[in-house]
Amino acid sequence: MSKNNKDCLLKVDGLKKYFPMNKGLVKAVDDVSFSINRGETLGLVGESGCGKSTTARTIIRLYNPDSGSIELDGFELASLSQKRLMPHRKKMQMIFQDPYSSLNGRMTVRDIINEPISVHTKLNKNDTKNKINDLLERVGLNAGHANRYPHEFSGGQRQRIGIARALAANPDFIICDEPISALDVSIQAQVVNMLEELQEEFGLTYLFIAHDLSMVRHISNQMGVMYLGRIVEIGESSEIYREPKHPYTQALLGANPVPDPRIVRQKLKIIGDIPSPLNIPSGCRFRTRCPHAMDICSKEEPQLTGSGRQVACHLHT
Amino acid sequence: MTDTINNNTFSSDDWDNGPKEEFLKSENLAPSMTYWQDVGRRLRGNIPAMVSAAVIILLILAAVLGPSFSSHSYEDQELSFANIPPIINLYQITPGRYVYMHRNLRLIETTSGGDLIETVGMEKEDLFKKKMFYDIDGTRIILDYSQRPFKLTDVDGKPLETWKKTGPGGYLLGTDALGRDLFVRTLYGARISLLVALIATLANFLIGVIYGGIAGLAGGRTDNIMMRIVDIISTIPLTLYVILIMVVLDSGFLSIIIALGSVYWVNMARIVRGQILALKEQEFVLAARTIGTSTMRVLFQHLLPNSMGVIIVTATMLIPSAIFIESFLSFIGLGVSAPMASWGTLCSESLDSIRTFPYQLFTPALAICITMFAFNFLGDGLRDALDPKLRK
Ligand SMILES: Nc1ncnc2c1ncn2[C@@H]1O[C@H](COP(=O)(O)OP(=O)(O)OP(=O)(O)O)[C@@H](O)[C@H]1O
Ligand SMILES: [Mg+2]
Repeated sequence: MSKNNKDCLLKVDGLKKYFPMNKGLVKAVDDVSFSINRGETLGLVGESGCGKSTTARTIIRLYNPDSGSIELDGFELASLSQKRLMPHRKKMQMIFQDPYSSLNGRMTVRDIINEPISVHTKLNKNDTKNKINDLLERVGLNAGHANRYPHEFSGGQRQRIGIARALAANPDFIICDEPISALDVSIQAQVVNMLEELQEEFGLTYLFIAHDLSMVRHISNQMGVMYLGRIVEIGESSEIYREPKHPYTQALLGANPVPDPRIVRQKLKIIGDIPSPLNIPSGCRFRTRCPHAMDICSKEEPQLTGSGRQVACHLHT
Repeated sequence: MTDTINNNTFSSDDWDNGPKEEFLKSENLAPSMTYWQDVGRRLRGNIPAMVSAAVIILLILAAVLGPSFSSHSYEDQELSFANIPPIINLYQITPGRYVYMHRNLRLIETTSGGDLIETVGMEKEDLFKKKMFYDIDGTRIILDYSQRPFKLTDVDGKPLETWKKTGPGGYLLGTDALGRDLFVRTLYGARISLLVALIATLANFLIGVIYGGIAGLAGGRTDNIMMRIVDIISTIPLTLYVILIMVVLDSGFLSIIIALGSVYWVNMARIVRGQILALKEQEFVLAARTIGTSTMRVLFQHLLPNSMGVIIVTATMLIPSAIFIESFLSFIGLGVSAPMASWGTLCSESLDSIRTFPYQLFTPALAICITMFAFNFLGDGLRDALDPKLRK
């Protein structure tokens, strides 16, 4: 994919996903919009429980969205039935967080990687075999591993198998839901590098979900910061990293270990715990923990403003 | 892109310099062991389970092949040889003539090996002195029943010596009150019990697994309705079903089979549903759904294979209670009808003469116990082998 051809592959607009619970409605994703250009990566960060996985799973239609649109490669997916969605499924794939539960322990590596091939392509036996061997080598394993079972592999190797499975359908778009957080620190770097190489090679587009901000900054072009089901700041990742505008982003960056001791971050303390998604504060959802909270914050919900770099905060309007 | 601060923050080099993961060389690996090979290895190490498996296999072989080795069939009656115990005392009258004194005051002539020939005719009976007189080849003997235990004496009243103890030829476990061979009848009862086990297992797999699988997979309202149906079925006692079905059908045994086949899967359905509900949130199932794998393939390729361990253990554990239900219903007279024999009817028939001929109860009761033990131990062993973490 050439760099100057910056067309938009995924456009999410006003996405909402609520879970009805006994105690009330969990607004896991509450009006999220963003877009990702072809061949680029959007990093999504935020505390645990802020709705990152739900956003990802709604986009890939594991959940049915309550409202909003999901436009992949010009096709609107949000309203399609599962049956009509089928031909679009192969264009988007997902890499999961837990390499232990993301592979079926009763299937061989060959069968695992074969699943998307058999669902989406009509390759004959020989071509399938070659394709599986190719994929295994692409992700740093070899053809001899095809007949083995997942439990014979380490966490990093299992994650590679999961990546090979995601690639097998020749997708354009891959969602990586914390693909390295369950891995050993020493292996994380290799897997991230491999994801970058694969992106280069196949022109892949990533939605990359992570806790670790420095890593998101490393891999993604754009970065979105989520808080309680909503994006509070979005823009070029290097810019956000250099100059976070939203108090929540500032706090997140402060909480993130800085690898270079020369950079001294102004550490902002976030007060208290994240509020329950059953009971979202009025006005700005971050105000209960924000050191800069003002009168207006409890009355009016700030909207994302600005072009390119967007912040939803009354300090920046 | 603005990369101006790259030199004092993170650079991609930092990621490259991480230690390299050690890769398995496929050549050096031990041969790949599948889950089931692993289970088999663990099961073979469990002695009670292996003994139980051997007992079950023997039982199946005996039930299928055993009756054909016997010269008697399960329904042949020989009233003159009724209630013969498995071990008999022989008396030698003259060389070449042997008799067995039956407890209901008859002499039965046998061969030297114990084969029963015929009832010996009585010469006369003294009802006052409670003595029976016999004349065998000129040798006169007296069956004295004036006091217990009954005695066989010569003309002078001297008790005869037991010549030898032996089994009644051809009747390995003796005979019942109608002179039918108990060994063949017990094996026939094993056939009935194993048939019941087979029906219960089939119902569990064909209905229970599929029903529970679909309920768990569908979730929501469908699941709710399906599980309420299961609740209703399971609150009605099985005995009641059998009685209701018996109203329509004459055969008690067929009623039991139909009742078991139609309602004995509910426990399995519940267990499978629980498994599926837990499994379907696992990431490999989500992965299959993002791939677009069809629902049926998700069920049969991902969910059921991962529940197979629990399914097999449950099926094994449900067999003994099915066998017991049939035996119990036959015992109280709702099951197989004569001349068919089930362990339950054998037990109940033996009760009429439990004081005099207790051996008739012993065999079928022991058969029920051994079978139930064997299936339970095998089920336990399977559970330990399938999930070593569950072992207490
Ligand atoms: N299937 C579901 N049913 C009900 N509530 C759910 C469901 N999935 C997620 N939630 C709720 O939605 C909120 C967002 O969850 P989500 O898993 O998206 O968070 P996350 O940002 O991915 O967190 P983490 O970093 O821990 O993975 C949480 O409060 C969670 O309890
Ligand atoms: Mg998550």
